[in-house]
Amino acid sequence: MSPTLSPRTARIASVFGLALQLARRDLRNRYLGSFSGGAWALVQPLVQLAVYSFVFGYIFRQRLPGADAPGYVPFLVVVLWPWTAFAEAVSRATTAIQDNASLIGKVALPRSALVLAPVLAAFAVHGVGYLGLLLVLLVVGAGIAPAGLAAMLPALALLFLFALGLALLLSALQVFVRDIAPALPQLLMLWMFLSPVFYGRNVMPEAARPWFDLNPMTGFAEYLRFMLLGMPAPGWPALACSFAGVALAVLAGGFAFRRLQRHFEDFL
Amino acid sequence: MSVLVQARGLGKSYPRVFRRSDRLRALVNLLAGRASGEVTPVLQDIDLKVARGQSLGLIGDNGAGKSTLLKLLTGVLTPTHGRVEVNGRIGALLELGAGFHPEYSGRDNIAMSATLQGFSADELAARLDDIVAFADIGHYIDEPVKHYSSGMVVRLGFAIVAATRPDLLITDEVLAVGDESFQKKCIRWMEDYLDQGGTLILVSHSMYHIQKLCRQALWLRQGRMQACGDVFEVTQAYLAYHERKSAGEDSRARDLDAVRGLEFHVRTMRVNGEEAETLPALEQGAALTVEATIASRDGRVPVVNIGIARGDGTPVYGVSSDMDGVQPAPLPDGDYRIVLHFAELPLLPASYTIRVHPLDSEGMRLFDTVERTLTVRGRSPESGLVRLAHVWEHAAPLSRSRSE
Repeated sequence: MSPTLSPRTARIASVFGLALQLARRDLRNRYLGSFSGGAWALVQPLVQLAVYSFVFGYIFRQRLPGADAPGYVPFLVVVLWPWTAFAEAVSRATTAIQDNASLIGKVALPRSALVLAPVLAAFAVHGVGYLGLLLVLLVVGAGIAPAGLAAMLPALALLFLFALGLALLLSALQVFVRDIAPALPQLLMLWMFLSPVFYGRNVMPEAARPWFDLNPMTGFAEYLRFMLLGMPAPGWPALACSFAGVALAVLAGGFAFRRLQRHFEDFL
Repeated sequence: MSVLVQARGLGKSYPRVFRRSDRLRALVNLLAGRASGEVTPVLQDIDLKVARGQSLGLIGDNGAGKSTLLKLLTGVLTPTHGRVEVNGRIGALLELGAGFHPEYSGRDNIAMSATLQGFSADELAARLDDIVAFADIGHYIDEPVKHYSSGMVVRLGFAIVAATRPDLLITDEVLAVGDESFQKKCIRWMEDYLDQGGTLILVSHSMYHIQKLCRQALWLRQGRMQACGDVFEVTQAYLAYHERKSAGEDSRARDLDAVRGLEFHVRTMRVNGEEAETLPALEQGAALTVEATIASRDGRVPVVNIGIARGDGTPVYGVSSDMDGVQPAPLPDGDYRIVLHFAELPLLPASYTIRVHPLDSEGMRLFDTVERTLTVRGRSPESGLVRLAHVWEHAAPLSRSRSE
């Protein structure tokens, strides 16, 4: 006998269970055709790490901005993987409702599970890769702080919520206005280069630096580098903007999705 | 009896979206909490109550809203008006292959469907063998669903629903895809399920299936409830409507002025004492009396022909007064009146037309036609037009058992 849950909790649990099932099926399908199967999810980031080390360590001889830095590759990896998970989650989830149009008119299922599933899948795949990379960097002595591994988890959880909020908002809007999905990759790329992913805020001109606080991604990037690499801590304005961004995305996404979901079938 | 499903004032409309700007306007309206704009109603004012253990058949023409109603009841679609309350678990078989992913194997799709219906992994594992056995599609169970024939898809879908034993089973016209033996298996399963207190809502164009499985029927016409009640009455009314439709009835109306100038015309026609166009329904085997009063312009005696036809125009029986060696008797005001009496009408339940024609004294020229619609009511499952007198011989009494 399962413990009695409130209807709301039970509903959320069922959405989550269904999303997990969908995500698992999606991942299995993605790696089904490859020989290495699930191992590919671990091998791929390692290969990518090797490529980055080669390109940035030998070809470009990228010097890290800032004196106390542990080298460019750890500097990049620590932020690039969470960003990749975030960007992939948002872009895959945006078309989730549209792609599952055949399911929506025919099967009774909680529609938010369709959006939650790709977000879960993206964070699972890249989360595993991220963890593997951090462990490798730790072992080779690239200056990763072991304590930071636990401290980064709340940041990743918030980033997950951020992605989910945006995914709910964009997937609901995409049903009505189909222009979002094609424009999204360009916007995400622009956002990536406007965020301190490939560079640090300190290489920017003095006048431009305060503006970075307005980008919710800045807080995430600087927090991760602070915790894992011991780089300077992010300022309060940047962190506040990150929190505000997450809260806004979750509220707006939840509101729009609740308002629009009962009309999806009419516009698909 | 507990109510399993209740719908009140249920309606569904689709928005009219023609131009690109319509989508944007609808989006803004919906976000602001207003209606989306112009809509086309497909289902209106449906009130429905299905108690536990009931069986309801949904009938109606294509596009009458049957599938939409099923989807509203199962929660696949959200109603525009009204509300649906469901107090139990629904198992639905709505469209061919709905919810199946073509790239995945039958087993994977079973797992997904079970999750969608709220089953845990353990419960699924316990039922998996039953499902595979019921579907009976051999090694195809491990192949992608895209390689299935449509019959196999239905087999798999029905097997999943059957294994999950829902409180309410809802099926659309998908069973018709299965082959004869599978259809029989499904019907037998459904009869079993009903015997054990299951509840069923079935859409079918086969009145045979509806009458066999359902006690109640709901006839939808152009998105509205046309009739709801006992399955035999509703299906008979529905079939009669179809017969009339294909006979192209209602086309010729009687031109009274033109008829008055003729040598003979029908002044009044009464069926069982009623003068109304549509008569109260008659029980099967009841008596029928047709009374005709004929006006004669020149005072000559008419021959009166009375005929009965099926709603679709198929003649059942016709007889003239002169054939039986009689003629209408005169009335004081110069008209002629005759009464035809059937003591025990052998007509089977359906809709019929009764016609009265006056002919000239020689029985050669036909002058006027007046008709009435008559519905014969009954629970008889016999087929055809009339019950012929019959006796079975070398027959033993039937022992009623459903599990053959």
